[in-house]
Amino acid sequence: MAVKYAIFLGCTVPVRAMSYEVSARKVAGGLGIELVDIPEFSCCGYPVKSVHQDTTLLMAARNLSLAEERGLDITTLCSACTSVLTEAARRLSSDGELLGKVNEQLKKLGRKYSGRTRVKHFARVIYEDVGLDKVRESVKRDISSLRIASHYGCHYLKPSEIYDRFDDPEVPASLDALVEAAGAVPVDYVTKKECCGGAILGVDENIALSMTKQKLDDISKRGADAINLVCPFCNIMYGANQRKVQSKYGVKYDLPILYYPQVLGLAMGMEPEELALNMNPIKPKSLLAKLG
Amino acid sequence: MGVAHGEVKAEAPHMGGINEAGCGRGPRIGVYVCHCGLNIAATVDVARVRDAVAGLPGVVVARDNKYTCSEVGQKTIADDIKNLNLDRVVIASCSPRLHERTFRELMARSGLNPFLLEMANIREQCSWVHGHDREAATRKAVALTRAAIARAALLEPLERNVGSVTKSAMVIGGGVAGISAALYLANMGVKTYLVEREPSIGGHMAMLDKTFPTLDCSLCILSPKMVEVRENSNIELLSYTEVRKVEGQVGSFKVELLRKPRYIDEAKCVACGLCAEKCPSKAPDEFNRGYSERKAIYIPFPQAIPASYVIDPNYCRYFTRGGKCRVCEKICERGAVDFSQREEIVTLDVGAIVIATGFEPYDASRKTQYGYGRFPNVITSLDFERIICADGPTHGKLKRPSDWEIPRRIAFIQCVGSRDEHETDGAGKYCSRVCCMITAKQAFMVKEKYPDAEVYVYHTDMRTAGKGFEEFYQRGRSEGIVFVRGKPGEIVENPEDHSLRVVAEDADSGCILDLTFDMVVLAIGLRPPGGLVELAQKLNVSRSADGFLLEGHPKLRPAETSIEGIYLAGCAQFPKDIPDSVAQAGCAAAAAAGVLASDRIEMDPLNPVVDEELCIGCRLCEKLCPYGGIKVEKTDKGFKARVIELACKGCGVCGAACSARAIKMRHYSDEQIYAQTAALLEVG
Amino acid sequence: MDIVITDLDPRFKHEVAKEEGGERVKYCFQCGTCTSGCPVSEIDSKYNPRCIIRMVILGMREQVLRSDFIWLCSTCYTCYERCPQDVRITEVMNALKNMAVREGYIHPAFRAQAELIGSHGRLYEIDEFTEEKREELGLARLSGDIAEVAEIFKITGLAELLSEASQEPVRTASA
Ligand SMILES: Cc1cc2nc3c(=O)[nH]c(=O)nc-3n(C[C@H](O)[C@H](O)[C@H](O)COP(=O)(O)OP(=O)(O)OC[C@H]3O[C@@H](n4cnc5c(N)ncnc54)[C@H](O)[C@@H]3O)c2cc1C
Repeated sequence: MAVKYAIFLGCTVPVRAMSYEVSARKVAGGLGIELVDIPEFSCCGYPVKSVHQDTTLLMAARNLSLAEERGLDITTLCSACTSVLTEAARRLSSDGELLGKVNEQLKKLGRKYSGRTRVKHFARVIYEDVGLDKVRESVKRDISSLRIASHYGCHYLKPSEIYDRFDDPEVPASLDALVEAAGAVPVDYVTKKECCGGAILGVDENIALSMTKQKLDDISKRGADAINLVCPFCNIMYGANQRKVQSKYGVKYDLPILYYPQVLGLAMGMEPEELALNMNPIKPKSLLAKLG
Repeated sequence: MGVAHGEVKAEAPHMGGINEAGCGRGPRIGVYVCHCGLNIAATVDVARVRDAVAGLPGVVVARDNKYTCSEVGQKTIADDIKNLNLDRVVIASCSPRLHERTFRELMARSGLNPFLLEMANIREQCSWVHGHDREAATRKAVALTRAAIARAALLEPLERNVGSVTKSAMVIGGGVAGISAALYLANMGVKTYLVEREPSIGGHMAMLDKTFPTLDCSLCILSPKMVEVRENSNIELLSYTEVRKVEGQVGSFKVELLRKPRYIDEAKCVACGLCAEKCPSKAPDEFNRGYSERKAIYIPFPQAIPASYVIDPNYCRYFTRGGKCRVCEKICERGAVDFSQREEIVTLDVGAIVIATGFEPYDASRKTQYGYGRFPNVITSLDFERIICADGPTHGKLKRPSDWEIPRRIAFIQCVGSRDEHETDGAGKYCSRVCCMITAKQAFMVKEKYPDAEVYVYHTDMRTAGKGFEEFYQRGRSEGIVFVRGKPGEIVENPEDHSLRVVAEDADSGCILDLTFDMVVLAIGLRPPGGLVELAQKLNVSRSADGFLLEGHPKLRPAETSIEGIYLAGCAQFPKDIPDSVAQAGCAAAAAAGVLASDRIEMDPLNPVVDEELCIGCRLCEKLCPYGGIKVEKTDKGFKARVIELACKGCGVCGAACSARAIKMRHYSDEQIYAQTAALLEVG
Repeated sequence: MDIVITDLDPRFKHEVAKEEGGERVKYCFQCGTCTSGCPVSEIDSKYNPRCIIRMVILGMREQVLRSDFIWLCSTCYTCYERCPQDVRITEVMNALKNMAVREGYIHPAFRAQAELIGSHGRLYEIDEFTEEKREELGLARLSGDIAEVAEIFKITGLAELLSEASQEPVRTASA
């Protein structure tokens, strides 16, 4: 069965997390996932949800309609995009009245949506559509020397009802399973379920950075070689802001942050440059040295 | 206080007017529209309903009454029947479930056939549900009343069926409720069959250590009752037995039971225990909630009744290894072991049934945030009872499962699986009613054993309504138990020492409490027991939205079901404590005995009549009948359908389906229903 | 803080319940599951979801809608998952923030984001530097602004709201 999706990049990935995009495309190629670009996609709508939900819904509906026109479902790299688009897709496919209302508005843009598009996070596509067995088969390089702690983030799992509870947010396991399937050693840690704090960075930096610090403390204590992420928002906290946390609290982690496609890409035998590892904010030198 | 007094319309008996003109030789119908105080009148314009139907064909008189069911109201009808020669009565009021009987008796007293009464439900199905819209409610009430009049005109007099009464009863479920019901019945002289699906009676009460609020030892008070069950010559105990099929009706139920093989001859076994001593196979001991092991041949607990061992084929080597082992058979001097036993069908005739199937504890592992099943020191309230019980896995020492050390800090979390909207099937949204007191009891027991222990109870509200309950809660506080109003979001285990971190907001102080415990006890809710859905189907009794069995009336018939002759006791109806379970058992037994006291039972003659001339023997009715109430048999005129009165429940499926129109439903004929619907549609 | 009955707006809870996301607010029975698991409350008790909902139930309209603490929800959905009454607290917070905006209060960080999206259709304006870097990595160029989003802002009325909502939330000690 061919796996084919429209790839929804969102705002952050193509500008501030290019290594995620590069590695995702590479890995998709290797796993036989066909990704179709739709240049007209806009922001998903998440950042205005707090301000004006109707606007979020209409932006999401417009994006969904673009995929529907091409007969495609959507896969996303950013977890915030996943949640907003999934929520909109579910509401619009189950509530005819709302769909009608939204279509009134879409008409003014010359668009229409009939409620068919489905949305799935890229990691979940690998987990479910490709499957752990095929992931294991795709492994060419032994990365069993790497100990990797997965940060699930919030919107990848919750609200679980919009994601058919594909993973239990209280005992999440899918990313650890993916890390293990790639041949690395998943690292368990107590604060696994905690939030990165990214959503309130602009509201209260102190709180947001404390939230980030808590997890960095815990993960580095557990002796992980890297954190595995599936969301560029979270990466702003653990990657881009790791230095800030270090200097603010006088601590030192130098903990490399990888996106799951980078972890898997390494296991599939791709070169670090192909996966744009050098673009990660914390240089994964120690980690690559371990791989030899 | 006269009911109609001060109410001008009701006072004036002629307001609706007598309409001799339109009646000719057809039916003579009296129509009575009830105010039901303000229950109907506040929403429905009763006078308008009365006037709207007053002139309809056949209607001789139409009146409104403040309370039709009152003596005054009834007298008005009786007088009209006499003075105006009425031959049919239509009452627009509450549900027939409430007062059909009252009015049918009135008809009979007044010399009319009771089946010439028709009721229109303008309360439950109108005023109560359309309180916001007087106009529409009034129109609907008119429509319903007109429809009732249309049907009334076509009603035919019927004679009630008379059935005999089998003077025995069956009680399903041998927990404290079932045991009590059986004893009450037996002591009233009723032959009673007590059917229990487990190898022993006792139910959950047998698993408890002590009972609130008096803290008496649970088995010490239960086991004498269990022994009484065995000794009472009016009781026949059928343990390890399930109900397969129930037919018939009040007074004459036919029950088919399935007895599971124990592989032990109950009559020979003296429970000496030699067999278990020698048995080589171990299994988790469910009575101790899996915290200890038993043998494949076992007795659930020392006081079990029947006091007989049983073989668990899932673990016994004879079954798992193809006929090998047989150690128990060799060791038993009395020859009680019998591998040749097979499932056995037993049939009973009983006049009444009491359902006392109890509850099932909520599966705490569904709340993954609390880690039950993942973290060894998170246990449930039922586990706690076993762990603190003298006969339990730790012989009465309260110990925590990870290392069997004595815990010093213990937390209790309330409402696990109760008052919870995430329990999507409806069960679990309610308050399980007993858990607050269970926890108060258990927290107290911890303090009693270890006065230095630190005990915290996390709750949403403490609910201690019951005799002696509030005093017990107060005593708990004075012992130093800390009650925290705040529900923890999750339990985090320290994997090294298996201690448990619990964070909760203490709403009373406004502080976030971040505490670490050696053990956490989850106060699990009470849910409908497994198999209740199927059992309810077999017995044709209804369940409420919470999944438990529905009582006949929430206030006035709390121990009855929707089916006459079938009664309810204990947690089968809703979670409750032991005293309430026993009280309801008494109530159910009294109601059942009442039915069994009479020699004959009158039943509504609602079953269908087959016109053999028209019947073509196509068997469609037989296929569709959910109760096996109609069968096609060979007669000298060919194959013809025949109604099995005992099994028929009068549902009407056969009548509706019969393509030859050979099946006629009594009291619900096609003509009557067409007339009723036509009248409804006319009003629009 | 003393509250007298005239300070309270008894309609507020119904208003919130009519707002998208606020539907189940009145079911709250104050068990505190939300606050006990809240990652923000854990660091700063100024944000307390249980208290905010209590204030809604009591009718403390102004204090809630003007506050800065409603903007502190990190939308992690932990409380949403666990709330035994299924109050969907994360969505209640969204409802409150939306109502606050209509009352004229908007947090500057959210205003800035909304304005960027309103003008570019994305959170970031795409500059040449970005495009070059993408090219280097073998990624396709991005199309520039997505103009239809500005249109959407007009259709839904957000554009107008943004020009009206002028006040910043008021710094408050805690909920
Ligand atoms: C942890 C805990 C502690 C408690 N502590 C106290 C206390 O201190 N004081 C107090 O007053 N109450 C206490 N209770 C409540 C008490 O257990 C119940 O009130 C009591 O057990 C109810 O009795 P029952 O007969 O209705 O149900 P159960 O005890 O559940 O008995 C039902 C019986 O029916 C049988 N059964 C079920 N389905 C079928 C079927 N289809 N066919 C045949 N048989 C069937 C079952 O096997 C069982 O034997 C406690 C409950 C729990 C969970």
